[in-house]
Amino acid sequence: MAKTLLIHLRSGSMMNMDSNVTVKLARAALSKGYNVRIFGYGEGITVIKAGQEPKRFPNVGKELEELVQKGLVVVVCETCCAARGIHRGEEVNGTKIGSLTNHLSQFVAESDKMVTLAR
Amino acid sequence: MPSILFVMLKSPHENVNLELVDDLGKNSKKAALLFEDAVYYAVDKKNGKHLYEHVDEIYVMEDDLAARGFKSHAAGKFQSIDYDQAVDLIMEKYDRTVTI
Repeated sequence: MAKTLLIHLRSGSMMNMDSNVTVKLARAALSKGYNVRIFGYGEGITVIKAGQEPKRFPNVGKELEELVQKGLVVVVCETCCAARGIHRGEEVNGTKIGSLTNHLSQFVAESDKMVTLAR
Repeated sequence: MPSILFVMLKSPHENVNLELVDDLGKNSKKAALLFEDAVYYAVDKKNGKHLYEHVDEIYVMEDDLAARGFKSHAAGKFQSIDYDQAVDLIMEKYDRTVTI
């Protein structure tokens, strides 16, 4: 059975390059046959907002949508979303607004390795 | 001996507490994996030498060096790697990662 990598992202899609590092790590791990899960917390939840249109930067939302088709699982914290006015129905296709207690704890328990990207 | 891969994202000129590496990595094999502005450790001799006093190996993301105009500048003890190699380090070669 393939090992699982969990990436815990706490930086926003436009804050710095952490979200881009997340996408590149996820893409490389998926291509090597690993399972990959991303859990967004705090500002990290902004990566799942649909309709991102950065003019001169990579479109993290579109990249995640593409990787979800290849098996990536992306879940973000519901409370963090509510605090920022992002609600169910506004997610990038295939990503999910979930919860810290249900999803992050489950992901941690089921993952072989975890990387946190935060400041 | 357990092994820890310390993931570093911040420039050496930001507030980076390398004492954490010593505290958390006691009796462990320690390596640093440098992303984003942390790659400046590879081109700043003073800070690079300082980092090497805390870890056994240092890996630098070639993409992030190139993005800052320092393609192929990783030398000596700094090993330049790509994302496939970073995944190998995280998933297979080290027991756990700690982001500082």
